[in-house]
Amino acid sequence: MEFKDYYQTLGVAKTATAEEIKKAYRKLARKYHPDVSKEPDAEDRMQAINEAKEVLGDPEKRAAYDQLGQDYRAGQDFRPPPDWDAGFEFTGRGFEGAEADEFSDFFANLFGQAGRRKQRGQGYRMRGEDRHAKVMIDLADAYQGATRTISLQVPEMDAQGRVVTRAHSLSVKIPKGVKEGQHIRLTGQGSPGMGGGPPGDLFLEIHFHPDQTFRVEGRDVYASVPVTPWEAALGASIETPTPAGPVRLKVPAGSQSGRRLRLKGRGIPGQEPGDLYVELTVVLPPADTDKARELYATMARELDFDPRRTGHGRR
Amino acid sequence: MADDKAVRGELIDEATLTLEELARACAVEADWVIERLESGLLADGSHYVSRQRLTGQRFTSRDLTRARRLRQVERDFEVEPELAALVADLLEEVERLRTRLRAAGVE
Repeated sequence: MEFKDYYQTLGVAKTATAEEIKKAYRKLARKYHPDVSKEPDAEDRMQAINEAKEVLGDPEKRAAYDQLGQDYRAGQDFRPPPDWDAGFEFTGRGFEGAEADEFSDFFANLFGQAGRRKQRGQGYRMRGEDRHAKVMIDLADAYQGATRTISLQVPEMDAQGRVVTRAHSLSVKIPKGVKEGQHIRLTGQGSPGMGGGPPGDLFLEIHFHPDQTFRVEGRDVYASVPVTPWEAALGASIETPTPAGPVRLKVPAGSQSGRRLRLKGRGIPGQEPGDLYVELTVVLPPADTDKARELYATMARELDFDPRRTGHGRR
Repeated sequence: MADDKAVRGELIDEATLTLEELARACAVEADWVIERLESGLLADGSHYVSRQRLTGQRFTSRDLTRARRLRQVERDFEVEPELAALVADLLEEVERLRTRLRAAGVE
């Protein structure tokens, strides 16, 4: 296990006051808040920052950590000495909130142990905390349903009463009709309870992988399909992709580029299924042969058409 | 892993979670949720909910996302619930606009 330098994480000196620590934390929390940050590793950074604040922001934990850490540097291999926390009384629960489950082994070993031992000693019976995880699926999975394997770090107690994290894989059925941002609740798959209490639940928040062809808004799905000028002008029946597989689509005669056709009920399924909107994009054939150039020249000659004149080329 | 071993979850659709379940999923007390409902900061922030009418009320996926966000902003920045709600409003608006941009093929 690597020693974590929480002072380094927050970018403060070991002598920093409580106020300075709070300030440094807020500054970083603003920078790495996953909802707004553009940094690619924002979520991990936010977790590290929260963990550091959890320890340095609590006078008791900070004092214990300082005493323990005086001979260690960040990244150094580390084993906590037995009863390192004797004489310290951590107030409140060892873990604060569900996010604490995501904290590092280092944190779990030091403060998880202390927190849980205390709770055990008091004969607490407590329901396990609910946990949250994000799951990425493909849009097609929302149409057909899917099975996904999810890996989670689960803290648990080993024979010596230390908290260790264990990788736990879970195979989950993603029901058909799920929307972006929607939750799936897995009863009893959250953190284990304490003192015989029931386990918490696991909430999965569903997000879609970005798709090359389709864009999604709620249950409605959008796609653009290229068509030839004659298909748009004369009308045609073309094959168009949908997340559920290709379908035949009737292009009405006289369509312009940008025309939007609605395929009712072919969005994401549900009690009220969404619609699929197909936007036509007219693609001109290249004029790279004599034949093609001749055809364009014929059109120029024969058709009375100037899109810059009022009425033409307008949708 | 065999398909029949897969865990089947419950889709949190419109109005699924009870008050207690919503609170637990956010690691807060039920009172925390009630206070924010009463002051119109949760449940779209649009309507006033009285404590008496809360029994039997159910909450959606969107409520869960919003409640967790409120709690995170309140805790991380130690700010008033109203300010956290303002942040959540703005983030939701940005998400809505981004989704529309994507659907329009702009982003």
